[in-house]
Amino acid sequence: MALQLKRDYLDQKVLERLSTLQLHARLPMIGNVSGKHRSPIRGSSLEFAEYRKYVPGDDTRRLDWRAYARNDRFYIKEFEADTNLRMCLIVDTSGSMGYAYNGMSKLDYARRIGGTLAYIAALQGDAVGLYCAGTQFHKEIPPKRSATHLSAVLDELGAIEPSGATGFAEALHETAERVPQRALIVIISDLFIDPEVARNCFEHLRFRKHDVAVFHLMEQNELDFDFDRPIRFVDMEGGEPILADPIIIGEQYRRALEVYLDSMNEVIQDTEIDYHRICINDDYGDVLAKFLLGRTPKKRA
Amino acid sequence: MNFLQPLTLIALPLILLPVIIHLINQQRHRTVPWAAMMFLMTAKRMSKGMARIRHILILLMRVLAIAALIFAISRPLSGGWLGSIGFAKPDITMVLLDRSASMETQDLQAGESKRSTALKRLVDLLEQGDYGTQLILIDSATGELQEVDSPQALLSLPMTEASATSANIPGMYESALTYLKANNSGRAEIWLCSDLHENDWTVGSGRWDAIREEFALLDNVHHFLLAYAAPSSNNLSVRVENVQRWQRGNEAELILDVMVRRDGNNTATRKVPIEFEVNNVRSVVELELDLLGGSIQGHSIPIDSTLTSGWGSVGLPGDANPLDNRFFFVFSEPPVRKTVIVTDDARTGETFRRALAIPPDARLQHRAEVFSTNRIGEIDWENSGLLIWQAALPNELVAEQIQNFVKSGRVVIFFPPHQNVGGQMFETRWSDWQQPEDEQSSEVSWWRGDTDLLAHTDSGDPLPLNDLRTYQYRSHESTGTTLARFGDDSPLLTRVNTDSGAVYFCSTLPTAQFSSFERDGVVFYVMLQRALAEGCRALTDASQRDAASNALADREQWEVVAPKDDAASLSQCGLHAGVYRDEAYWVAVNRSHAEDIANAAPVEKVDALFGGLSYRRIDVEVGDTSSLANELWRIFLIAMLVALIVEAVLSLPNKRVENNPVVDFATAGSEAD
Repeated sequence: MALQLKRDYLDQKVLERLSTLQLHARLPMIGNVSGKHRSPIRGSSLEFAEYRKYVPGDDTRRLDWRAYARNDRFYIKEFEADTNLRMCLIVDTSGSMGYAYNGMSKLDYARRIGGTLAYIAALQGDAVGLYCAGTQFHKEIPPKRSATHLSAVLDELGAIEPSGATGFAEALHETAERVPQRALIVIISDLFIDPEVARNCFEHLRFRKHDVAVFHLMEQNELDFDFDRPIRFVDMEGGEPILADPIIIGEQYRRALEVYLDSMNEVIQDTEIDYHRICINDDYGDVLAKFLLGRTPKKRA
Repeated sequence: MNFLQPLTLIALPLILLPVIIHLINQQRHRTVPWAAMMFLMTAKRMSKGMARIRHILILLMRVLAIAALIFAISRPLSGGWLGSIGFAKPDITMVLLDRSASMETQDLQAGESKRSTALKRLVDLLEQGDYGTQLILIDSATGELQEVDSPQALLSLPMTEASATSANIPGMYESALTYLKANNSGRAEIWLCSDLHENDWTVGSGRWDAIREEFALLDNVHHFLLAYAAPSSNNLSVRVENVQRWQRGNEAELILDVMVRRDGNNTATRKVPIEFEVNNVRSVVELELDLLGGSIQGHSIPIDSTLTSGWGSVGLPGDANPLDNRFFFVFSEPPVRKTVIVTDDARTGETFRRALAIPPDARLQHRAEVFSTNRIGEIDWENSGLLIWQAALPNELVAEQIQNFVKSGRVVIFFPPHQNVGGQMFETRWSDWQQPEDEQSSEVSWWRGDTDLLAHTDSGDPLPLNDLRTYQYRSHESTGTTLARFGDDSPLLTRVNTDSGAVYFCSTLPTAQFSSFERDGVVFYVMLQRALAEGCRALTDASQRDAASNALADREQWEVVAPKDDAASLSQCGLHAGVYRDEAYWVAVNRSHAEDIANAAPVEKVDALFGGLSYRRIDVEVGDTSSLANELWRIFLIAMLVALIVEAVLSLPNKRVENNPVVDFATAGSEAD
């Protein structure tokens, strides 16, 4: 599948490097066409699934005569069904995603991550959808698996701008309800929400049997809080600005951050989501390579 | 607190600089768009406790550092005691200088006496500080007030030089009080330099109560005492207790009783050479000293028989106090010890005459004459040393003659007249005759045995006053000092306080009808002979006097005989030990006996004298000429450094553990895998 790329946020070299990797679902998916992903429904792929006792009504063509010869019993030989998946990209477009490092904002980084994943998914025949969540969903592209649809998704990714307060938790709950079938939910956000709120969202998504992957974007300055003079911190999500002396509150800031991240780690362990804490100073190609390789299914015994 | 560079204090508002910079810095903040506001708000909430206090402490340390720097540059002066009196400067500074002989105790290494040490330190302090518009000196020797131009002048004034006098500390305070009451218009500081000599302070005197109360009424008067509380060590003092010139035919000699007193803790016996100098002839006698010292009784020095009067001295080797190492004495032919007895009772008169006409020493000539009251005009006042008055108390002319008699140093003993007549003399009057109510009332219940007429003998034995019985007596009302009293507290013998001479009142008569004075004899004889000896001292052509401002006030044409190298002016002559002569009359001036007794008043009692007043005692040591007002800039500099170090420590960013970053991206990813 060839795409004519005009989106400047996508790097041709990264796409070429990652094109050899495949995006796998960690959970069986229910697609509408044949694809590269496991399905909970037995199908006719070449991938052996299991033997099952024959019951009247079964198609006799699927009897394993060799097993009958050995055991004098009828067994039906079942195979995995390969299907495609629906990948829903949920990109946080709240004001905080506009925080930039060396000219690259978190949203820029999210574009690259989301766009590349969308390209890879589309390349392997999966459906791709996009949900842009600011204060509320302001853009919603349901997953489809056509090239024009991918183009629309990429265009939309390139067009979104950060603004407003975050309503990301509500957006996630809404996504869990809106996406009817199992899907790969890729969340790209700075997750500036209470970890317990995040836990509820992830548990909701997992309850709906979605495969949840999270790219938690952070910037190095946010972690270090390395300032040496009083600063007026303007809330990028429209809240009240805060005048603070980092010398005075630096330690407390770092302590609060540490508590938050520890809590988030607990949430991740409890909800078993595919979580990736990303510093936007890192190369996104490497991040995605690690992500894709981490999802590659292990060889069956 | 005083400052050598007070103008620097103008810069004190600069201590607000850190606060101002902080406020400006707050206004000059950068504006940064920030995403992780949730952590920032949490941090703000958390930083309201210790972090805020830490920041306030940082600011405080910066303020303190600047303040300390400014104070250090302004060169503050003070000791711990001076710092507590605040920044006020005195309008009047009064220096009360104890010039007594004991203040000449020196530190042998430094060569500085207590007086000179105290004076130098005080001058140093006053020069560095501000002593106000008036600097007043009151020296203990003259007791006079003198305004001084500058502190430095104190070092060169004759009124601050050494003297052989005793000090009257309460008297000096009374003078200061009088001056302040008349002139004080603001803050006054009174600086007293003293060695706390017990005799000079008389801490038990009721005068102190009055002084304290009067000072308490004055505002803004601050007392400072430069005190030498430590007793002197290993000091010897020499004194001639008695000197007499005797002549037998063509041979004449001086008989001296010399006492050497020893102070300090050294208990080892030692021998000291005693140097006698008479008529430029010197001789040395070694004296072995025990714990308290030693004495030479009846030391004979042969002299030329033609030398009827003259002077000499007794000296010790140099020690801590050079002023008590030499004692001058003068001598002359002993006068005829003449007593005048005035009585209308021949029997009583004869009793007195017999007791007074018999000399205790065969080499003395005694003469006693009895006069009835109608022969008073025949009395030879000039050549008599003792007056026994057993008659009605006189008035007018006779009373005036008796007062002049006493003023010239003679002694009068009043005995009660037979008749109950009125009259008063020396603020004393006789009561009616009375008889003791019981046996106990007729006995002497108490008498003063340490001094005066009824003192113990040289061997220390008390006079047998216990054996004395009184059958009739006339009590007397007097303001004087009681020397002996009966069992019913009625006075037997009273000494009236006089500037010179001595006046006694005895309540009973010596005859058998009135008392056992005559029958027992000893007390009566000793008492009269002592009074006669004291009175006849005024008759000699040579006398020993204690150094005082009025020691030589009775004559004008004094010639300094010794020491010749003493450059003291004539006005200061009586203040210094030496020999003075007015034609045939010789006077030896020496320190008083009390100055040789190195007993210091307890500092607690001295402090109690200033109870309720603004008072600081500064204990100093002889020879220590370090400045009283230490420059404190070092302390302030250290304070500044400490403040800066504390500020730096507080400002240090909290330790960031490099190996344990807040976020570990390597492990945070794919936690759920």
